[in-house]
Amino acid sequence: MKLLGPLLLALIAAVPIGAALWAVGAQLLDAQAWHALWADPQTLRAWGMTMWTGLASTALVWFTLAHVLASGFIRQQLGRWLSRVPALLATPHAAMAIGLVLWLSPSGWALRLVSPGLTGFDAPPPWFTTQDPWGLGLILALWLKEVPFLLWVAATQMQREDLRRRWQAEYALAQTLGRTPAQAFAHIVWPQLAPRLRWPLLAVLAYGLTVVDMALIIGPATPPTLAVLAWQRLSDADLLTQSQGVVAAGWLTGTLLVACVVTGWLVGAAPSRRMLGHGKRLKLAAATRLPKAVFLSVWPSNGMWTTILTTYIAVWFALTVGSVSGVWPFPQVWPELWTLNAWQQVASSARTVWTTLGLGVASASVCLLWSVAWLELAPRRWQQAMQPWFLLPLVLPSVLWVVGLYSLALHTRLEGQWLGLSLAHAVMVLPYVLLALVPAYQAVDPRQAALVASLGHGRWVYLWRVKWPLLKRAIASAWAVGFAVSVAQYLPTLYVGAGRFATVTTEAVTLAAGAQRSLMSAYAALQMLLPIAAFALAGWLGRPRRFEKIAPMKATP
Amino acid sequence: MTDTPQDGLHVHIERLGSAHHALVSGLHLHVPPGEILTLMGPSGCGKSSVLAAIAGTLASVSEGLQPLQLQGSVQLNGRELAHLPTHQRGVGLVFQDALLFPHMTVAENLLFAVPVTSGSDTAQRQARVQQALQEAELSGMGNRDPSTLSGGQRARVALMRALLAEPQALLLDEPFSKLDAALRAQLRPWVFAHVRERRIPVVLVTHDEQDVADPQRVLHLRATEESQAHV
Repeated sequence: MKLLGPLLLALIAAVPIGAALWAVGAQLLDAQAWHALWADPQTLRAWGMTMWTGLASTALVWFTLAHVLASGFIRQQLGRWLSRVPALLATPHAAMAIGLVLWLSPSGWALRLVSPGLTGFDAPPPWFTTQDPWGLGLILALWLKEVPFLLWVAATQMQREDLRRRWQAEYALAQTLGRTPAQAFAHIVWPQLAPRLRWPLLAVLAYGLTVVDMALIIGPATPPTLAVLAWQRLSDADLLTQSQGVVAAGWLTGTLLVACVVTGWLVGAAPSRRMLGHGKRLKLAAATRLPKAVFLSVWPSNGMWTTILTTYIAVWFALTVGSVSGVWPFPQVWPELWTLNAWQQVASSARTVWTTLGLGVASASVCLLWSVAWLELAPRRWQQAMQPWFLLPLVLPSVLWVVGLYSLALHTRLEGQWLGLSLAHAVMVLPYVLLALVPAYQAVDPRQAALVASLGHGRWVYLWRVKWPLLKRAIASAWAVGFAVSVAQYLPTLYVGAGRFATVTTEAVTLAAGAQRSLMSAYAALQMLLPIAAFALAGWLGRPRRFEKIAPMKATP
Repeated sequence: MTDTPQDGLHVHIERLGSAHHALVSGLHLHVPPGEILTLMGPSGCGKSSVLAAIAGTLASVSEGLQPLQLQGSVQLNGRELAHLPTHQRGVGLVFQDALLFPHMTVAENLLFAVPVTSGSDTAQRQARVQQALQEAELSGMGNRDPSTLSGGQRARVALMRALLAEPQALLLDEPFSKLDAALRAQLRPWVFAHVRERRIPVVLVTHDEQDVADPQRVLHLRATEESQAHV
């Protein structure tokens, strides 16, 4: 009987995931669709583009991470740098891509700054600088977004008290043995850190291979990436074309799984006792043995980090200026006319904002309630066993999920309805909320529960007056993470919502294809401001208690 | 002594351990009211698990996948506790870390322990807190953030908090081990005096011979061995 609650909770979360997967699986067994997919000359080129952009961006992120960590660790500035990371993480992918477009497009700021002085251009040149056919813009955008993510994960490892002390000591010891600081980091700290970043790295790879919204904005168009191609097929009116989209998504998933296995093997597992015990020579995994130049300072040491920060600031600035720009002829550096028109337009379509807020609040709240209930009620063993299953929506391509979620919504007659859409959002949001909560829950001292009970209080007193108040910061930020993830959803909103619901993200991505610079910038800025507001709210709700200021302590024992 | 044989804490552990591994077996102990039994032994011998079995908190000490289970009985003043949840046992606990709730002031930590009975109003409960602060030599520090207290102050608050809940037995799990030698020497007599005053049975777990409260009542626990003690 005691297990009835957790059993129900497990079913509530696992059944939609399983049913969605089942629905996709059934549609993948369509020989005709596979034939049509292979017959299409675009398919292979799109696949090649996906491999190139996904693998190149992931490799770049990995090298950059090693370099930034090395220079930050050696100069002992890592802590200071990492405190800036949350602001970078809060910038949504789509907003980042749009901000880059504002800089890099033929009529963008980069060219305006040097025209006509250096270039002699009086009109924007016919260049492919944003949706470039080589996918460089997409690689740049992915690189900018994923480096802060991996840095943040690395920070959670390097700031763990036990690891930090041990690594500092070993790093110092290596130098007394005659190694330079860069060598000491490369040979001692990095090989221990890198295997711990394996799963997050795979998440980066999965994202790079399957991203749709960013690729629509800044990725190549002819051919597009495979994820975008699948999405275009899926949104076609023709049924055969749609089924081609489904199998394309299936193929993308297969590619992703193979790429993940190979990458995981390259990064390798931590050297285990067993390996050492058998007298085998310890071989470092390939990806932990990076070229020396990565660790040595090719640039002035903090150059890389400064570059990333500066680019973010430039992107935020471009979005802000873009959203209040009126007439702005090339090659003028500043707009001729400043106007709040775009923001007024946003305000007059308040429904879009309300839909975004409603979906975010509803899905984040539902997922938070579920996660707390799950972590409170389910036995540890269950939690460990079910975790991979609940994290699936994070790993598999969103273009695959929307197919499953849509057929699920069709069966339950929830397609195009608010309830169905918010449930689809909840499926995508759940893994993030769970991941944000689990470390805090694991850090709870079990003796505290014993202590409260020994004072004669029951379970509810413990939860309401001790445990949850102590976890309030983690709970509040898990909610904000969920809200931010919901706001950023593009595919589920369009597809499961059957095109009837507009959010700031769908508007921003749609406008990115057009010429309304100011409206696009305003929506992109809003797409960024909403999560930031949620994080600010969470920070305020989760603020630690301020105790009365005390006079200097007396020296009493 | 006017105590009846039923009074005090009677613990009879036939077997305490996981499904595959018995941690403690064949342990009997009896602590009369007002007496302090010292439980000693090397780390890993199951001292703390014995306390958890008495307090009913085995679920929270058995980390990992193999929960510890008790076969035996725990009787307090004639009442069988083995199947009661912790909060109904009336057994107080003090750990080596004071475990003061960091989101409450010192006074709130103490107030949290004062039982709400039908006759008592807030003013009476507050008065008990003030009195406890005085006994802990912490008058006027009620509004302090517990993290600003010294180690000795924290240990005293933790003990007063446990006593305010009016336990019928008290378990001290290495209460002095985080303190330096001088502070221990100061704190020991203060703790022993306070718990003896309550006329309740007390079990103290330690690995330091100097912590022994009553040389007449010491039980040495060895890893997975039969141990007998009627003290």
